[in-house]
Amino acid sequence: MTTYDIFFSILGVLCAASGLAAVTTRHLMHAALWLTVCLATLAGCYLVLGAELVALVQLLVYVGAIVVLVLFALMLTRAPIGRSHDHDTPLLQRAVALVIAGSAAVLLGAVLITGVRDGTVQVHGGSTNALARMLFTSWVWPFELLSLLLLIALVGALAMSRSLVPARATRRTGEDS
Amino acid sequence: MTDQDKKGFVPGLLKGMGTTARAMTRHAHTQEYPDVSPQLPPRSRGVIALEESNCTSCMLCARECPDWCIYIDSHKETVPPTTEGGRERKENVLDRFAIDFSLCMYCGICIEVCPFDALFWSPEFEYAETDIRDLLHEKDRLGQWMATVPAPPALDQGAPVDQPEPTESAPSEPQPAQAPDEDPAP
Amino acid sequence: MSTFGEVVLRSLCVLIAFLVLPLLVGQTEHKLMAHMQGRLGPMYAGGFHGWAQLVADGVKFTQKEDIVPLAADKPVFRLAPALGIVSYLLALAVIPFGPHLVAAGITGSLLWVLAVGAIGTVGTLMAGWSSGNKYALIGGLRSAAQLVSYEVPLILAAASFAMAAGSFSLVSIAHAWTPWWLLWQLPGAIVFLVAGTAELQRPPFDMPVADSELVMGPWTEYTGLRFALFLLAEYAGIVVVSLVLAVLYLGGWTGPFDHQIGPFWVLLKGFFFAVIILWMRMSWPRLREDQLQRVAWLGLVPLALLQIVLTAAGVVLTT
Repeated sequence: MTTYDIFFSILGVLCAASGLAAVTTRHLMHAALWLTVCLATLAGCYLVLGAELVALVQLLVYVGAIVVLVLFALMLTRAPIGRSHDHDTPLLQRAVALVIAGSAAVLLGAVLITGVRDGTVQVHGGSTNALARMLFTSWVWPFELLSLLLLIALVGALAMSRSLVPARATRRTGEDS
Repeated sequence: MTDQDKKGFVPGLLKGMGTTARAMTRHAHTQEYPDVSPQLPPRSRGVIALEESNCTSCMLCARECPDWCIYIDSHKETVPPTTEGGRERKENVLDRFAIDFSLCMYCGICIEVCPFDALFWSPEFEYAETDIRDLLHEKDRLGQWMATVPAPPALDQGAPVDQPEPTESAPSEPQPAQAPDEDPAP
Repeated sequence: MSTFGEVVLRSLCVLIAFLVLPLLVGQTEHKLMAHMQGRLGPMYAGGFHGWAQLVADGVKFTQKEDIVPLAADKPVFRLAPALGIVSYLLALAVIPFGPHLVAAGITGSLLWVLAVGAIGTVGTLMAGWSSGNKYALIGGLRSAAQLVSYEVPLILAAASFAMAAGSFSLVSIAHAWTPWWLLWQLPGAIVFLVAGTAELQRPPFDMPVADSELVMGPWTEYTGLRFALFLLAEYAGIVVVSLVLAVLYLGGWTGPFDHQIGPFWVLLKGFFFAVIILWMRMSWPRLREDQLQRVAWLGLVPLALLQIVLTAAGVVLTT
């Protein structure tokens, strides 16, 4: 048991606990904040495993951008202080979610346990250099495809938000005349 | 920074930075008051000084004071005749002259109305007290301010200097001032 | 044991730098702003030209009552100032003051600075939401919108420097620096400076804390030491942005006699950028919310993309 193992265990437990807290808390904003903790500790897990770039990008993109967007959206719409039941899901939905999550966890665990039954597995490729090499050689087409997809999404969002404005304007002028 | 506002945008920003940089090179305007005493003009209204010997206890100042902050007590004394067989004269003796600077609003009416030049403005202003009752200046304290009263301002250029006696100048001064006042009236 | 001692020593050095440098910047701001407005600024605390004014302010802040509003979400409200402070403390730890003078030598240090800086923004949002105050909430909304927008040009500009040097490490970037970066990376440096100032919500990008309309934005309900922590985080942010920019754009410790006085060059160059950030505050009026977004998306993002194209062309042509 090395120091890395200890840190990994601590961060993993924290990650799982905060993830659980995020889905069970009745405070709407607390759920988002627990999600932040969950994502940050996950980044810590990556860091302990030696994948520095992945960890930092996780922190930068998820904590810095996505959670900020989530918080922004919550604050913009409805973010009461204290418990709220406005956004509670029906009991059936919760049960289905629990089943799906549980089965996914069991499946993943089974795969991992059967996969590495005979002891430790040496993993290479976590470092920034190795990741960059893989990303721009063997995985360059999926990478580019993904960026294209994001670009399409961006342009689509822009087009949708832009096309609404003249439509509203013409409606207003139509009412006036 | 679109194309149409680029014309005035960056030069405007640079101009703003230039303005502040220029202000930095100039000397600050700050009055470093407790360390450096301010250069007040001689006729600043700081405190009212009393020349006790000029006061006749006529009470004009106390009556004209808008907020009644001047307190005067006096009594009459009989003065023996200066010449043999002459008549005895009575004279006011000032017992108390006090100005309550916690009430005073520095209007200067008392100084304006004093017919015998007993009250003067002094530019001294550092007489704040921790107890409001100490702002009541009695006549000895008011008399001490006399030392700080600046000399009367010099006459304007071309002003008539035909009055040789300085002691008579005060009562005679109003007369030329009154004359032009009365002339246009009838 | 010796490694443990070294870790403690390095952490202590970072902590001291974290406590001293922001005060230095704050005092510079006091005096610079005063003289730029024809005033003298603090003159009494400490004797000589009020050098201890911020120390006195800190003592004053510790004496004040620590108020948590009744309507606030108390744990979040209490935790929020700590996040801002910790994020800049972690960022300061990776800034190199010399080829081997780094508190925490990690390879992706540029990415690290950007990533932990993002944690601080969550602290501002937490403060804005948990205060239970509509001014604070509007301030939090504004800062969220601003931070998301300016994160994009900031990261793009940083990416340009990383591309030019071929490394994410601040030490390697400073090693790769040559004087012609001054021209080559100029648009990127401008974008980084402006976006960094906006990330710190410093004037002229202080719409979230616009005091004439939002009292103090997300910090409205904070008092005493917690408020002081937010202020300290703001000035520590200036220090981090200035030092990172000094390392990225001015080559860090590079300069005459850099074997002897390398750290001095980093501090001097960082101070140069800190003064520019302060100077911008004193010279320019606050940007309106729509102008703020306009500058980010129509001004800085295209400029940063242009810089990336320029950098890529330069890298391809020279190697």
